[in-house]
Amino acid sequence: MECRSSGPQPSVSNASAGAALRWFEDMIDHCYDYAEAARAQGRPVVGIMCEFTPREIILAAGAVPVCLCGGSAATIPPAEQFLPANLCPLIKSTFGYQVTGKNPFLNWADLVVAETTCDGKKKMFELMGAAKPMYVLELPHKAENAAALEHWTQELHKFKAHLEERFNTQITEEKLRAAIQLMNRERGLRRQLADLMTQDQPPLTGRQLIEFKSIISGIEADLQQYENGLKSLSASGGDASSPNVTATKASLPREIRVLLTGVPIVHGAERVLELIENAGAVVVAMENCTGLKPILEDVDAADPAPIRAIAKKYYHLPCSVLTPNSGRFDTLRSLSAKFRPDCVIEIIWQACLTYDIESIQVRKLAEEELKLPYLKITTDYSPSDSARISARVEALFETIKAKAKG
Amino acid sequence: MLCAGIDAGSRSIKAVLLDTDTGKILAAGVSDQGVEQERLATELFDKILFEAGLERAQISGVIATGYGRNAIRFADTTITEITCHARGVHQLAPETRTIIEIGGQDSKVISLENGGRVRDFAMNDRCAAGTGRFLEMVATRLNMNWSTLSELAHQSQKPALISNMCVVFAETEIIGLLAEGKPLADVVAGVQKAIATRVAALAGRSVASPVYFTGGVALQPGMARALEEVLACPVGVVSQPQFTGALGAAVLAGERAARNNL
Ligand code: SF4
Ligand code: SF4
Repeated sequence: MECRSSGPQPSVSNASAGAALRWFEDMIDHCYDYAEAARAQGRPVVGIMCEFTPREIILAAGAVPVCLCGGSAATIPPAEQFLPANLCPLIKSTFGYQVTGKNPFLNWADLVVAETTCDGKKKMFELMGAAKPMYVLELPHKAENAAALEHWTQELHKFKAHLEERFNTQITEEKLRAAIQLMNRERGLRRQLADLMTQDQPPLTGRQLIEFKSIISGIEADLQQYENGLKSLSASGGDASSPNVTATKASLPREIRVLLTGVPIVHGAERVLELIENAGAVVVAMENCTGLKPILEDVDAADPAPIRAIAKKYYHLPCSVLTPNSGRFDTLRSLSAKFRPDCVIEIIWQACLTYDIESIQVRKLAEEELKLPYLKITTDYSPSDSARISARVEALFETIKAKAKG
Repeated sequence: MLCAGIDAGSRSIKAVLLDTDTGKILAAGVSDQGVEQERLATELFDKILFEAGLERAQISGVIATGYGRNAIRFADTTITEITCHARGVHQLAPETRTIIEIGGQDSKVISLENGGRVRDFAMNDRCAAGTGRFLEMVATRLNMNWSTLSELAHQSQKPALISNMCVVFAETEIIGLLAEGKPLADVVAGVQKAIATRVAALAGRSVASPVYFTGGVALQPGMARALEEVLACPVGVVSQPQFTGALGAAVLAGERAARNNL
């Protein structure tokens, strides 16, 4: 932090962008109301915990797909009664809600869908499955193997049949196509919002942008708000400063553009993102699963075989559980060209082996190919290392600024 | 121009008064860190001002660095300890390409470009294993002070292997080794080697020479030797290693004041 004097205060130059942002600040409440109403109408609730889960098939079954990923430090100690301490906080927090019974969505879930992704999740799902109906999709890990996509497609066909039987419904082609359209629309809107950050003066902070999401996909009211936010932000080029997202000091000069990558930054676990932006940067792009990764590609609505089209889209997700995960490096290359970052910061949850090991390649890509400084932050959900993280981030920015000064 | 740097570290506060025209350190002081950080820093600052026969009004710029930098409100601005150590070491040994800094609660490896600019750096995460904290734990455990500790390490022919990298578990391991009858000197040398190994891992592939060692732990003679062995290259110790952060802050305060006067 080179400058302590506060700059110009953020202006709420656009009321409706602020309104859209405020809508998403109450996202959990809206999802609660939505799910409660849906249940009253007899719609089942299906819990999901990964971006590989094909939400379209769940929606086509008339069910409500809810993300159950835990972002709370408070549920970790209860989880550690059952799980090793040396495990990714995302897994522990998610499971902790099962132990405490404090996630209404998990309590409501008529089914939980999981995938064979990382080992920690896979084994946690077994424990969760002891108390909850659980369906595990087998995700093949060798991304370039043609037979793998075939297998994944078969898995989705079986999943569809399972949902039909369990919820006593027919997933017709028509319903599938409607769900594909809905999800494509949602992804498209979120993509456009994210694209606003390509501007030289992004109208949002990364902390604000990450608010534009919902743990339940396909809620019409959310989609409306994405549209509202988008309309006002693109029209005015103004900012959406909202009184409640105060964690980011919008008054600091934002000279540094950051490309963020690594593990998912689950709702409630945005601490590192805040630390980065409080050091005077703006996170212009998030490659993470909670950012651009799952919304960069749509399902091909014109494909005559919808399940196959869904399988293709999801299988392209460049997650570190795949090997080799070359898609991630291609994504980083294109995001870097498009969003023009000054540096790459990678977040790794402690004990996340796949992302941690892959980070060596990310560093190499950043430094040698993209010619961008790279910083890796390994942490968990507890704030005890915040000062240390801030020091590293600030030092990175000091280095970048010193270089720019020449 | 007269400038000051305050390094509010995790264990102690350091302050340096610098004549930026001559590069001469007019006064330097250190005090223990505590809860009332700003008061402690103010007292220390006033003390070294008094020693140098100066008054606050004569000081053109003050920069705070270190873990507690944001609490030092009398400073004009803050700069991280990474940039400050780099600047401080560059001032003392301009040929430096790699800095190893081991302080009370963290350790850093900083690589410098020509001209002393930071090229890259690595810093330990949450774990205290590669830091002064580890040595402190051992000293407390063995009821010794730091200097006796390093004298002891010097006598060792065969440092013990401390495999546990967590300070808490390493403590148990050390007790176990002593119970087995391992010579104290070997155990202490083993601890130094474990810290050096940890810091070397932080440095990764690229350790460009000349390497300089700074931070409070650099006051322990055995540590530089342990680093030399692990890194397989000479490691110099800067003079007054506990002050490089504050010195760098003072140098940067001078540069900042000069810019502002333009
Ligand atoms: S990072 Fe991988 S395992 Fe985690 S949510 Fe994303 S796709 Fe799933
Ligand atoms: S962050 Fe890593 S360890 Fe945690 S759930 Fe995702 S892939 Fe698994």
